[in-house]
Amino acid sequence: MQRALEAALSELVFGPELDPADPAATHAFFERHALAHDDRAALEQGELERLLVYRELVRGTLKAALEAAIPRSMARLGPRFDVYFERFVAERGSTSHYLRDVTSEFLDFCATDWRSDPEVPPYLLDLARHEALHIRVAAAAPESRAARPSLELDEVPCFIEALSLSRSAYAVHRLPEALEDRSAPERKDTTLLAYRSPEHEVRYLELTPLAADLLERWLAGAALGAGLTGAARAAGGDVTPALLEATARLLADLSERGVLLGTRHEPAPETSAARQP
Amino acid sequence: MTERARPHGVGLGLRWEFLEEVVDGPKLDVDFFEVSPENYMRRGGYYPAQLERVRERYPLSCHGLTLSIGASAEPDASYLTELRRELARLGSPWHSDHLCLSSSGSRQFHDLLPLKFARENLERVADRARRVQDALGVPLALENISYYGHPGRRELEEAEFVRGVVERAEIGLVLDVNNAYVNAQNHGGDPRDFIASLPLERVVEIHVAGHYRSPKGLVIDTHGTPVIDPVYELLELTLVKTGPVPVLLERDNDVPPLPELLSEVARLKRVYQRARETRTGYAKSA
Repeated sequence: MQRALEAALSELVFGPELDPADPAATHAFFERHALAHDDRAALEQGELERLLVYRELVRGTLKAALEAAIPRSMARLGPRFDVYFERFVAERGSTSHYLRDVTSEFLDFCATDWRSDPEVPPYLLDLARHEALHIRVAAAAPESRAARPSLELDEVPCFIEALSLSRSAYAVHRLPEALEDRSAPERKDTTLLAYRSPEHEVRYLELTPLAADLLERWLAGAALGAGLTGAARAAGGDVTPALLEATARLLADLSERGVLLGTRHEPAPETSAARQP
Repeated sequence: MTERARPHGVGLGLRWEFLEEVVDGPKLDVDFFEVSPENYMRRGGYYPAQLERVRERYPLSCHGLTLSIGASAEPDASYLTELRRELARLGSPWHSDHLCLSSSGSRQFHDLLPLKFARENLERVADRARRVQDALGVPLALENISYYGHPGRRELEEAEFVRGVVERAEIGLVLDVNNAYVNAQNHGGDPRDFIASLPLERVVEIHVAGHYRSPKGLVIDTHGTPVIDPVYELLELTLVKTGPVPVLLERDNDVPPLPELLSEVARLKRVYQRARETRTGYAKSA
């Protein structure tokens, strides 16, 4: 009983809009759901129409969560947002207990189609992910790692959990914050380090290609020295005194910002959801 | 495990709009704060840190949103594990959620949908509630929801259904008097009769909130307006019957400045006190 009613409710809320005054549509709806005769009768006598209010309530909650997280992207999408939002609700929806996860669920759903939709600005996915990054890093799990406050070349650097390396093809982080702004961002491969400061503020650091490569290797579990050697090779060179000096400056900066905690001997497991690009 | 400070008196739903005032300002005339654990679970950073500070100053009551006790699928085991950990961390003496459906299969509604008032559901949900209570390690209470349509034929009245679930499961009841009022407005009946039919000895907390009347006449439980006079009256009648159980003011939308909410809390305290005095008078004259 509950399973059939639940499926019917689910379709009423997430599925195509049902016109309760359309006998063919309601007949087809009931045919899809094997409801008990008296349940069907009660729904036909008015409960179906009343239950449709949950379509609005559910959509209102989900939309409000997205508005809080990616307001500028939604404003730039304009009416196209509603098209994608309806598809998201109908085809995927939210599976997380945590409303704050709806944004990443929505962006994962839209990513492929936005890239090929000529009505969606080419930078829009980058902008939306940049906006969403704020809540993701702000809410990332608390610290759970212990590290020695030392930096040994053969040890694995240990970073805070609340950080994320974000790569984008546009410098969306330089766009004005105003909702009404429609200026296009510069086309520029960009890597941002977003992290939560000890004061719980989300901060951003634009990285050079070398710094981005180094951090990516270290976050993947490379030892300090191995990461440095790998990055140097990837850049087509050796570990030079200049590279060493630049790396030392980077490490000092990260340490001062509270991002780098130290090193530890064993390889670091990749556990943080916030680190996923 | 953290020592559990029991909520009492009149509390307020903790909202981020006024979190700093609660944490950094002078001690407020609020007896406890209510939190939705889902807003803090699996989370680090500012808000959980601030909640720790709130906990140092006020008792907390935990009121969840996504247990989905009535869904056909069993509750998510990892969610229950996380919830148990969070309840222990916050020191909530009980956990409450809603007697409803908030998911279907793997999909979350992020809203509270009604269950059919049927004996089969009553037994199924009650049995599950007992298991959930065991899993959480604290007493469980379920709240009567506002509902705008009923999914199918009613085999039982709402009060029979609510009573049946909490009595069979031997759990607590969070009695939302605004929901009782809203349901009476939308479906007919007298909310006083509804409340009188509930197992009031099981009430662990009473909720009040404001609602919205749509142009079509449907009353929606928005938690977005002040509590109206008939709900205050219903609260007082209820408190006379239940005795001094904790009362919570919920405000989730269009949250006004804190002083406005405190003024509502003050009015609730007067109602609370008056109900106590009436009850004592009854007791003396009995």
